[in-house]
Amino acid sequence: MASGSASVVAPAPRPGFALRLREWLNREELLGPLFVTPALLLLLVLVAYPFCMAIYFSLSDAFIGRPSQLVGIRNFVNLWQSDSFRQTFQNAFVFTGISVAVKLVLGITLALLLNQQLWFKRLIRGAVLLPWVIPTALSTLGWWWMFNSLYSVVNWTGLSLGLMDPPGPNWLGQKYYAMTAVIVVNIWRGLPFFAITILAGLMAIPKELYEAAEADGAGPVRQFWYITLPLLKPVLGIVILFSTIFTFSEFNIVYVLTHGGPINSTHLFATLTRQVGLESGRIGEGAAISLYLFPVLVFVVWAQLRSVRREVL
Amino acid sequence: MGMNSRRRFLTRTGGLVGILATGIPPALGQQRQISYLCWNNFAPLMDKKLDEIAVRFTKDTGIKIRIDHIAAPQQAAKYASEVQSQSGHDLVEMRMHFPWLYEAQLIDLSGIMAELEKKHGKALASATETAKVRGVWRAVPQYHGMFVATYREDLFKKAGLKPPDTWEDLYIVGKELKKMGHPVGIPISQNYDSISTAGPVLWSFGGMEVEKDGKTVAINSPQTAQMIEWYKKMFRDCMEPEVLSWDDASNNQAIQQGKAGWIHNPVSAYIVARQMKLPTADTINHHKTPGGPAGRHETDVPRHIGIWKFSKNAEPAKEFIRYLLGRREVYDEYIKSADAFNLPVYENLQDHPVLKSDPKYAALQDTKGVQYHCYGWPAPPSDKVQLITNSFILPNMIAKAVTGSTTKEAIAWGALEMQKILRG
Repeated sequence: MASGSASVVAPAPRPGFALRLREWLNREELLGPLFVTPALLLLLVLVAYPFCMAIYFSLSDAFIGRPSQLVGIRNFVNLWQSDSFRQTFQNAFVFTGISVAVKLVLGITLALLLNQQLWFKRLIRGAVLLPWVIPTALSTLGWWWMFNSLYSVVNWTGLSLGLMDPPGPNWLGQKYYAMTAVIVVNIWRGLPFFAITILAGLMAIPKELYEAAEADGAGPVRQFWYITLPLLKPVLGIVILFSTIFTFSEFNIVYVLTHGGPINSTHLFATLTRQVGLESGRIGEGAAISLYLFPVLVFVVWAQLRSVRREVL
Repeated sequence: MGMNSRRRFLTRTGGLVGILATGIPPALGQQRQISYLCWNNFAPLMDKKLDEIAVRFTKDTGIKIRIDHIAAPQQAAKYASEVQSQSGHDLVEMRMHFPWLYEAQLIDLSGIMAELEKKHGKALASATETAKVRGVWRAVPQYHGMFVATYREDLFKKAGLKPPDTWEDLYIVGKELKKMGHPVGIPISQNYDSISTAGPVLWSFGGMEVEKDGKTVAINSPQTAQMIEWYKKMFRDCMEPEVLSWDDASNNQAIQQGKAGWIHNPVSAYIVARQMKLPTADTINHHKTPGGPAGRHETDVPRHIGIWKFSKNAEPAKEFIRYLLGRREVYDEYIKSADAFNLPVYENLQDHPVLKSDPKYAALQDTKGVQYHCYGWPAPPSDKVQLITNSFILPNMIAKAVTGSTTKEAIAWGALEMQKILRG
């Protein structure tokens, strides 16, 4: 007698919500976009949108609070006819070129020193970072005080030591001195970034390489040229890239120290943008100034990253 | 209980639907709160007084007010961001030509101006020129600051010098002062004080930047050349090169710290020296602004209050303007707190008691024959004339000339820069 009992397959218990969520989150095709979305949204809102607006403004005759019309590349063409803009263009390259070069040389030197066995090594490394940590506007005010024609401690010291003739250099009032002043402050502020990043690169170089070189009779200079520098190249590439971009777009130091003067001799793109776009209301022209170097910087970034990638591979 | 709840429910939901449909909250729930963005006054006690008045205003009217202060150089950028985002403060303090720059964004305040002019008399010409835009009051003038000659009376007496009557006299006096180690302090740099002096000197020689039509550049003239030559010899024989790096505060500091013997500035240098009890306070005095072949001209800096069009509290904001400027006793109290740095801007109040509060303010009353103008005069205010001012073309042109360029080259440079802006 066949048993009449039909085999009933009991339905598998439905996994709990927590389990389902875990399974769902384990799927890479979902988890990846989920993690990227907040960053992407931030980039869209805080970078892409203002950037697109800046491009639109630069191609228009936008004036604060008034309706605007597209004018093509007229702003870019007109700017080149302006003496103050051409001066700014030149200033930006002089300022960035000298600052980055000096920061690179001093940064490597400082990193090599910090890589030695020193007393109070951690304290010194921390102290080196100070100029980079203090808000730029605040520290630049201190420098402004030091360069100020009435109260200049730099001139006072120079005169006291007999290094300067009275009344001493007019740091912020003569164009070469003023450019020197803004470059000095930029170097002072940017040097820690170079030094600490390069130091990280130095610490990653295997000690065995130096030991082997020493055994082969290579001195410190040859070790630097044939081991340290080649292995630091990727780090240097990134540091130079970042510093070039930051220095080209510098604002605080020039604004606080000289306001772009004397006779526009220290204006950079950011300070001229403020003067034209915000203080005078001509947003279109101001946006064009700020975007003028964008194609050049894109090329620099592309070239640098390509070179770094090649070094790494 | 049930009925009561149902009735309450119906009343509340009905009310909510009404609010949502009209977008207007009931009067009872409307927030009577306004905000005012104004500059960090160069007479700090006036800011303190403004805060006191604001507290009384809230007590008297029930309208809360928040006052935010901002440094003068940051004003333009802050206003630009408020206008672009269509959000921010209700009331804004505006210097000189700002109402022209933001004309489309400011409400019409002609009604309040009619009330104020009825009470205090007509607004001064400089205030009217700058706040009344194409026949509409876009802002309400609140006070003005006049430039004047500020000098070290003790040094003048010691050297047997008389206060200079003309800019040429100043050159003669300046040479002596420099020999005494107390040079003349006129900034030639990218700041507004530089324009405030260069303008009157240019006008006194009969020159101007742009013609009355506001379209034709007029800087390339023999009068400008005279002005440049004057600056060259002043820079060489009466001043120190440091004036090329000065900011708006530097000339004040130079006379307060005992270095400069003569500066061109409102009376703030003296007021601050006196408030800080500096030894120079007793030795500083003022005299009538020097003149030239084309008369005696001076810079006037009127300041106004405007209300943004995007403000949702225009009526309470107007009430604040009426309270501050329309009530004579409040306005007097406000003006007195500035100690003659900021003066009444209405005709009937020109003989204000604050001018008699210190004998050293006598020069501020000695205005006979002095023509007061704002930057860019005689061109009518416009965004282009404003850009010429804000690009510091006038001081940069002078700086070029005093640091090596020929007068002709400097003027040609200035004219070209101005033409580009006007063509723009």
